[in-house]
Amino acid sequence: MVDEEIADLAQALLALDEQRAVAVARALIDGGADPQAVLQRGLADTMLEVGRRWNAGELFLPEVVAAAEIFRLCNEIVEPALIAAGGRTLGHRVVMATVKGDLHDLGKNMVGAMMKTAGFEVHDLGKDVPAERIVEAVRELEPSIVGLSSLLTTTVPEQRAVLAALEEAGLRRSVKVMVGGAPVTEEWARQIGADGFAPNAPEAVRAALALVGDERLAGA
Amino acid sequence: MGRPEPAAPTEEPLHALLPSDPVDVLAAGELERIHWATLQVLARVGVEVRSERVLARLGAAGAVSDPGVGRVRFPPALVEAALAEPPRTLVLAARDPARDLRLDGRHGYLALDGCAAELVDRETGERRPSTAADLARITLVADALPQIGVLWQAVAARDRPVETQPLHELHAQLGSSTKHVQLMTAVRPEQARSAIEIARIVAGGDRELRERPILSAFQCSLSPLTYDGDALESAAVYASAGVPCGFVAMPIACATAPATPAAALVVSNAEVVAGVVALQLLNPGAPTFYGACGTVMDLRSGAAACGGPEDPYFQLASAQLARHYGLPSSIGTFATGAKGSDWQAGVEGGLSVMSSWLAGADLLCGAGLLHGARVHSTVEMLLDAELFDLACGLSDRMRADEEDLATQAILEVGPGGHFLAHPHTRRHMRRRWRSSLFGRETWEEWESSGRPGATDRARERVRQILAEHRPPALPETLDRRIREAIAAHGR
Amino acid sequence: MGAERAPRPLRGRLRIEPLAEGDLDRIHEASLRVLESAGLRISSRRILDALAESGAQVEAESQRVRFPRRMVEEAIARAPSRYALAARDPTWDVPIGAGEGYLSLDGCAAEIADLESGARRPPTTADLVAATRLADAVEEVAILWPCVAVTDVPPWAQAVRQTQVQLANSTKHLQAMSTFTARDARAVIEMARVVAGGSRPLRDRPIVSSFQCSISPLVYEGDAMEAALEFALAGVPCGFVAMALATATAPTTLAGHLVTVNAELLGGVAVLETLVPGAPTFIGPYQAFMDLGTGGIDLAWGPEEVLFKLAAAQLARRYALPMNILAFATGSKTQDWQAGAQHAISLMGVAAACEADLISATGTLYGSRVFALENVLLDAELFDLVRRLLDGWGTGEDDLALEVIEAVGPGGHFLGQAHTRTHMRELWMPRFFDRRPWEEWETAGRPGPRDAARDRVREILAEHEPDPLPEDAERELARIVESHEGETKGAAHGG
Repeated sequence: MVDEEIADLAQALLALDEQRAVAVARALIDGGADPQAVLQRGLADTMLEVGRRWNAGELFLPEVVAAAEIFRLCNEIVEPALIAAGGRTLGHRVVMATVKGDLHDLGKNMVGAMMKTAGFEVHDLGKDVPAERIVEAVRELEPSIVGLSSLLTTTVPEQRAVLAALEEAGLRRSVKVMVGGAPVTEEWARQIGADGFAPNAPEAVRAALALVGDERLAGA
Repeated sequence: MGRPEPAAPTEEPLHALLPSDPVDVLAAGELERIHWATLQVLARVGVEVRSERVLARLGAAGAVSDPGVGRVRFPPALVEAALAEPPRTLVLAARDPARDLRLDGRHGYLALDGCAAELVDRETGERRPSTAADLARITLVADALPQIGVLWQAVAARDRPVETQPLHELHAQLGSSTKHVQLMTAVRPEQARSAIEIARIVAGGDRELRERPILSAFQCSLSPLTYDGDALESAAVYASAGVPCGFVAMPIACATAPATPAAALVVSNAEVVAGVVALQLLNPGAPTFYGACGTVMDLRSGAAACGGPEDPYFQLASAQLARHYGLPSSIGTFATGAKGSDWQAGVEGGLSVMSSWLAGADLLCGAGLLHGARVHSTVEMLLDAELFDLACGLSDRMRADEEDLATQAILEVGPGGHFLAHPHTRRHMRRRWRSSLFGRETWEEWESSGRPGATDRARERVRQILAEHRPPALPETLDRRIREAIAAHGR
Repeated sequence: MGAERAPRPLRGRLRIEPLAEGDLDRIHEASLRVLESAGLRISSRRILDALAESGAQVEAESQRVRFPRRMVEEAIARAPSRYALAARDPTWDVPIGAGEGYLSLDGCAAEIADLESGARRPPTTADLVAATRLADAVEEVAILWPCVAVTDVPPWAQAVRQTQVQLANSTKHLQAMSTFTARDARAVIEMARVVAGGSRPLRDRPIVSSFQCSISPLVYEGDAMEAALEFALAGVPCGFVAMALATATAPTTLAGHLVTVNAELLGGVAVLETLVPGAPTFIGPYQAFMDLGTGGIDLAWGPEEVLFKLAAAQLARRYALPMNILAFATGSKTQDWQAGAQHAISLMGVAAACEADLISATGTLYGSRVFALENVLLDAELFDLVRRLLDGWGTGEDDLALEVIEAVGPGGHFLGQAHTRTHMRELWMPRFFDRRPWEEWETAGRPGPRDAARDRVREILAEHEPDPLPEDAERELARIVESHEGETKGAAHGG
């Protein structure tokens, strides 16, 4: 019965049916289903399937982004139960943010969505995020990777500020930092001492997998 | 392989498209609907401007500004009135007056495209980051090409400090060419002020620059519907010095604009019109122009695609909107998604230049970029210039006087004869356009010379120009004053 | 791409007219004057006699016929401006005179660039089979031409053998443009009747058509004109194509070039419509320029190519005659930048000419002398792109999407909008253009569109099975070929 409902959740996610996915996830959790199973088999595995279909050219990026958004909504339902049950892990954890002063989250959302299709557990802090909040999230979530995005030339320097704040908090060595955004270059990434850079979403996934030492190069 | 033509002498006049009858891709009703929707967006949604100072000034001038959310809205009557302000005709002057540009709706000039952060090395074919020296070299090559009318910053001077980078770029270009420079990288008011100072040094003073603006600029919107406050302030700084400053929207349908081309056009148009209106509110009557380089998103990777049928549609429709508003237009041309100068680059270049010819654009931007305008290639720049040159030959109306009709010659030659030796042939045969880069050799010649293509001829030509072409240098005293101005910037 | 298979035309919408009204008249007047004063040379007693009877001024010794102006004007008026080129599969019927332009294969290339090696070699029947099957599969190609001249059969048997191969390997309309004699024409007509189901069905639904070429300046082979007459009498549409080479076989000036070509085409139409009033026909004013250095065709052509097309289309519009227009001309030897640029400029010229019913021709390189299978797919990609551009996009409420723009607001993005997912597949999707990120492209070994096209050709040839002819029809075609070859061989040896 629960298996059927989890399959139903997976199907709703694949069909990009937000209402049904959220309803099924709610019913599963309210009905006492194992949150780890709901997250893994209902949502995370389905995102891998979304990634496979993207790679095969059957789905396009806007659909991947829509799937990632439904994933996020469902995860909001599953997560409290998961924490209460004391169990949780999906794979490598990524914290992402558009830096302070920048309200553009298009690139970050593309990258976040693609990351989910590669099995990463993505925590999106949103846009216009101050360095202190990013440091806090790193301390709390202990991610493998932090991804920083900026679209404006005027907010790119904020990426350096985040790195400095991580350094100051003594967290810089525990996490890999990736930077991206239209004005960001590989050279800039090197200059500020970031660990990774990618010019687009598919490359970001490849770079992230390389940073965490994953052999799969999804999207390759 | 055909020998490259000798480098063009600097006296050769600039080549221009001479569109006789621009094509309207939007039917009258469609144009009306796009305009109406644009007014709705400007009045109801408005644009985001994150600068309290600018919002206050716009509010004082009649716009509905809401500094709380960083938003300004423009009532339709205000928009219509502001659009009537700027002049239709602009002269973009050049250090060499023979290279002045007349944006009067009857000439279409080719600009260098910009601003790439990387370039394909001419000899190795590999990508690498660009430097100020690269920009100077590219500008020097562009100076030798009569097809290039306007200099954009083809590549970024990435080896210079971020704050003074645009000034170094301006210096590199003024020092390597006598053509008009359109500065796209000075987007902060202090940078605009320093750029104006440099332009005044070269022009000979404030009044001289106003009379003959050897510099122009433009500001880009951030789609959808956003301007950096700095960008609008910079535009006002340029305007107050008499330097024309346009506005260019570069929406990507599905990402920064809606998926439907009509709606993407509305967003693009609203952004350009908002820029123009804002500038007119800040500096009534300021010379400006309408710029658009729209494309769609590659649905798989999320990057700008550049090169499908939507691009020419945006070119044609944007030029038509600019014409409708009585503004000079600067229209994206030669955008290609190709990564090398291959069949795809050729197709996209050919479609694009034909579209801009049909569109009747004043400025075509521009030559030399590959891979969705992210990578510069000087070889591609020459190939683009070649296609532009071909299109310039299209502009002539076809002549059909007695001499051109050749009825007499036809009757004299008669059925089964030939025209090779007829005097009429000798009188006119040299009128034909001559390609310098297309291959005309036989298959056998081609194979025995190692299957060269247009790219090889273009590369050879670039080497030759770099070795031979020496445009008039800036006088040493001016050069020194420019260096001092850059050093003083920000102090 | 699309699910439904149907012919895909270019629909004109970006019209450019380089000839002022008075200039258009002057070209027309000059053409009539040439036909009246110089006339045409037609080496056929049968045709000349018939024309003399109808009021033309014929000079038998010099095989010269001069056309009174009225005769030409009446002929133009008699030619139908609308008819259909039917296909064995009615889905592929092509309307003529409907303001739509349909793409054909190119014709009679003397060589083929080998798909695997890229080297030139003489084409064989197997190549024509492959090309025809490929064209049958490619949606953008609506009309077949015998695209290579097969060299494994004797020259006098080629036209009929080619027709047999193409009728058997595709259900699309065949323009048998290599049929140069009345005898060949009769065999082609007989074969077409077998496939169509008889004389009347062929007349009602002509599944084949043809055209004859002038020999510039101002000459038609008698055989060619007699073939045209055979076709017209059987109700098979037959057009005229002029390929005058400016500077050599036509004046070097564009206007003079156009006058020569126009006079030849109107002359052909005058012959046909005088002898078979109301016969469906069309005109094909092709542009070609002599390379001033070599005397060959100019492989590096320029703006004159486009201007000629635009002006020729103005003339065709004036006459209300269906028109065949030449696109896809390139001097390049391979699918490189020059080939792409020349093809795109050429096709945009066709788009701006805004008149073509028949758009020729896809598949060739090197001044139409070398055929390449992968070119058919690349040209089709380009054709599809321009078709999409000309079809345009809507400006209805949902297209303008004001609510979506408002909901997203400044600084947002449209990636996650349902409106985007609903409409994104309406955007054009390339098959061979490369839009991959640079890194991915490098990892894949920097493949070009040509590599992708070549892979697709292999796939299509392995997978696509055209609807076969009924067995009895195939047997009947074989019998006609055999009998034609016996007759023609005898004639060739005897005469």
